[in-house]
Amino acid sequence: MSGQILHPTRGLGIPLTNAVLSFTEQDEVNLVAASKKGDQDSFALLVQQHQRRVFNLVYRMLQEYEEANEVTQETFLAAWQGLPSFRGDARFSTWLYRIAYNCALKQLEQRKRDRAIQMGVQAEQIVANATSEQQVDAQLEAHSRQAMVHEQLAKLPAKYRIVLVLRHLHEMTYEEMAEVLTTPIGTIKTHLFRARNLLKERLEMFDREQHSETRGE
Amino acid sequence: MRCPEVNSQLQLYIDNRLSMNQVRELEEHLARCETCQKQLFLLEEITSALRELPPVAEPAGMTMLIMQRVAISSQRQSDNRFSLLRPSLPELLVVIFLASVTTLSIIWQQPSLREVLPFAKPLSQTITYVIHFLYTGDMGAITLVLWVGGAIAGVCITLALAGNEIRSQWFKAMMDRLPIR
Repeated sequence: MSGQILHPTRGLGIPLTNAVLSFTEQDEVNLVAASKKGDQDSFALLVQQHQRRVFNLVYRMLQEYEEANEVTQETFLAAWQGLPSFRGDARFSTWLYRIAYNCALKQLEQRKRDRAIQMGVQAEQIVANATSEQQVDAQLEAHSRQAMVHEQLAKLPAKYRIVLVLRHLHEMTYEEMAEVLTTPIGTIKTHLFRARNLLKERLEMFDREQHSETRGE
Repeated sequence: MRCPEVNSQLQLYIDNRLSMNQVRELEEHLARCETCQKQLFLLEEITSALRELPPVAEPAGMTMLIMQRVAISSQRQSDNRFSLLRPSLPELLVVIFLASVTTLSIIWQQPSLREVLPFAKPLSQTITYVIHFLYTGDMGAITLVLWVGGAIAGVCITLALAGNEIRSQWFKAMMDRLPIR
């Protein structure tokens, strides 16, 4: 389920980057160098600069607000602890997104393991989920086609969701995505094309359903 | 250019990954093919919808929470850095034991010092007995005893010097591998 439905006020009217803290590339290099020497104030500025983008990336992968909060914190902690190994070959943001992606993947794997344990609990929640799905369906009917794309994005497998988010929300090139996801460009392309085709198919299906409903009336 | 070929290039087209020639050919086809145009519109609609995906605000005070965890982690790292200078009791005992053995062996090599020590005579007798046993005993059994004793002593010394954290990890790993509950 998307953040807009869960948190109606959180997704509206906010920029993806922190406009107050706008660093040049050189500023960032200096802050990273200072952080590597243990300067926590410099690292705090880097956190402020990148936390929203990292949070959004993680949130789009996990689709869970509280989990995304925890994983974002873990990402920055891992970045702080791993800073001595950051050689500066890639941009700091690319390196940071790679950590975020790996942390989110780890969380998804953990979730898979937990799912087996939670089977009993889930059985009890089926009724509640059915009710919420009906609510989502009702909202879908009322929403525009754009909202429908957003809803369908949340239902895609994580590997497809991540490439769409990196490409269109973070405006990354294939090369940058390959660097973040440590995946060959060919695989990135395949995932991106399949993801868009899946969304396209669902949009076409939605159109057909709308068309047949209109004719039925 | 045919429709299947165009379809396979539409995604590259919206990602600006085609050469000028490819773009020209594709656009020529699109100008006269309504089916491919529809496919392009759908893709553009999707990409535009994804670009409009509203950013989700992170929880308030996230920077503070992260920096608290960073500060705690730095404190721990700094504690760990000096932990070698603060040996635990078993580590201290092992060091004392090794130092004592070394001192005694040095003293043992000096006959004048050996005479002064009150326990030198019984110790000398014990050592003579052990040497005699080593010469006359079953060499296979003695070698085995020495190997086993040496291995156990090696493990004990390593664990004693490794610190509490490594010791507990080692113990946990060992217990996991043992076929007991």
